[in-house]
Amino acid sequence: MNLQWRWAALKNGLQDATAYRIEFLFEILGSALVPAAIQIMLWYALFKIGGATEVAGMSYASMIQYTLISVLFSQIRGGDLDFEIMEMIRSGSLSQYILRPVSVLEFIYIRGLAPKLFLAAICFVVGCLIGWFYGLSPIRLFIAMLLAILGNIIHFQISCALATVAFYWEEAYSILMVKNLLVSFLSGELIPLYLFSQNTEWIWKSLPFYIYVFGPVQIANGTWGWVEVAHHFGIAILWCLAGWGLLRFFWNKGIKNYQSIGG
Amino acid sequence: MNTILKHIKIFGVQLRNNFVREAVYRSNFLTAIIVDLVWIGVEFSLFSILYSNTPTLAGWTKHQVYFFLGVFFSVDALFSIFFQTNFWMFSDLVNKGELDILLTKPAHPLFLALTRWMNLTAGFNFILGLIIFIKYSNLAGFDWASRWYMVIIWFSVGLFAQLMLRFIFSIWIFWTDRGFALSRMYYQFFQIATKPDTIYPKLIRYTILTALPFAFIGSVPARALLGELSHKEILNVFIVLTILFTLNGYLWKKGLKRYQSASS
Repeated sequence: MNLQWRWAALKNGLQDATAYRIEFLFEILGSALVPAAIQIMLWYALFKIGGATEVAGMSYASMIQYTLISVLFSQIRGGDLDFEIMEMIRSGSLSQYILRPVSVLEFIYIRGLAPKLFLAAICFVVGCLIGWFYGLSPIRLFIAMLLAILGNIIHFQISCALATVAFYWEEAYSILMVKNLLVSFLSGELIPLYLFSQNTEWIWKSLPFYIYVFGPVQIANGTWGWVEVAHHFGIAILWCLAGWGLLRFFWNKGIKNYQSIGG
Repeated sequence: MNTILKHIKIFGVQLRNNFVREAVYRSNFLTAIIVDLVWIGVEFSLFSILYSNTPTLAGWTKHQVYFFLGVFFSVDALFSIFFQTNFWMFSDLVNKGELDILLTKPAHPLFLALTRWMNLTAGFNFILGLIIFIKYSNLAGFDWASRWYMVIIWFSVGLFAQLMLRFIFSIWIFWTDRGFALSRMYYQFFQIATKPDTIYPKLIRYTILTALPFAFIGSVPARALLGELSHKEILNVFIVLTILFTLNGYLWKKGLKRYQSASS
């Protein structure tokens, strides 16, 4: 297994992402803090102004804790690599990558993973520091990070499988935007998934998106016992394998349709 | 008066050109509808889940929040129809020197820059927003008989506020070439506008009603239509928008002085 080009891709990805450091910082702070702040205000309105004491078994303090911990994992879940691949297919610039003796998808993924690993390291350190005061276990945080990174892989696989629609349809971006909207809702980024009613919880349980944010939060805050953690890691690995198969199938099918117009 | 009539005629030509162009790309219509339907679905689901656990949220009942969503989606759809595409192209206009063409035309270049492209397919989303607005208007307590004319006024206020806000996040392209970062920042703050302003604590609420009036897009118009806006708050809306308009005009002139055209 040639690690040299993979390591080079990783370094290149990190350099690329942090070329404009202020912009990188603003993007992280904006994407992390603004949604979390809005959530916290929603809980404030629900509990403090509305007078609710418990919602779906969660108190105000536990809602705030969920929201803050979810910020650590929402940054890792996945970027816009699917849009990048879709644009490469659409514009024909994929041709330059096909000619190279490396896997296109793996190259793009590793390059995109670099800033996420960097963020994961920062979030882990921040989480440990905050956890010192709130009793979060560093071991649990580390395992939660591993699940979040698995979630990142699954997100890439599913997103890129969807992006292969670009081989057939120019407006594939709409599918990716729909996917992003659904993921933000079903990953637990907007609200804890325990707020879903019993009739509708099958929706998030039958999809892998909860692995991105909700699952890691449940590990980090100690809600899931070790048996449950192992169970959900097993599900994540199965989704990884399914995602790998899905991506291979659609990519191999779609590349036969590739026209390289403009490339 | 002649200048205004001239610009209205130009707007009419832009509208016709965009209609012809959009008629060629029919699949855009389908994609725009799908994306917005899912977005509306997600917002409705979020509030449905919250309201299954509480009867009110910061003084808003479920039907009032859905009424607010109808106002918000309608205003946002209007913005998408007339201005959104132009803002996506705005950084290219400045960075690639394409503003040159507009500066040489016998019409206000900013008017041409902001009305050149239209996304008429978002008209369906406007209709959808209106349906939601009308469906929940009676349940929310909107008095059609006495306040029907206010709909046009407050929808216009929401549209104008969104235009001013989007502009102030875009104008900095004259000073930096990182237009994409500014757009991302706008859309991050835009999420604040998707919730009623009364849920926010005092400091945030004050900010979104003054310096960054994202509340003017949907929440304030919804409250105004429900008769819950005081005279002081109405006055505040017009003062803030006037200040924002003046500031944007000043920044546009300053930006133009920094503009390096394609030929320079």
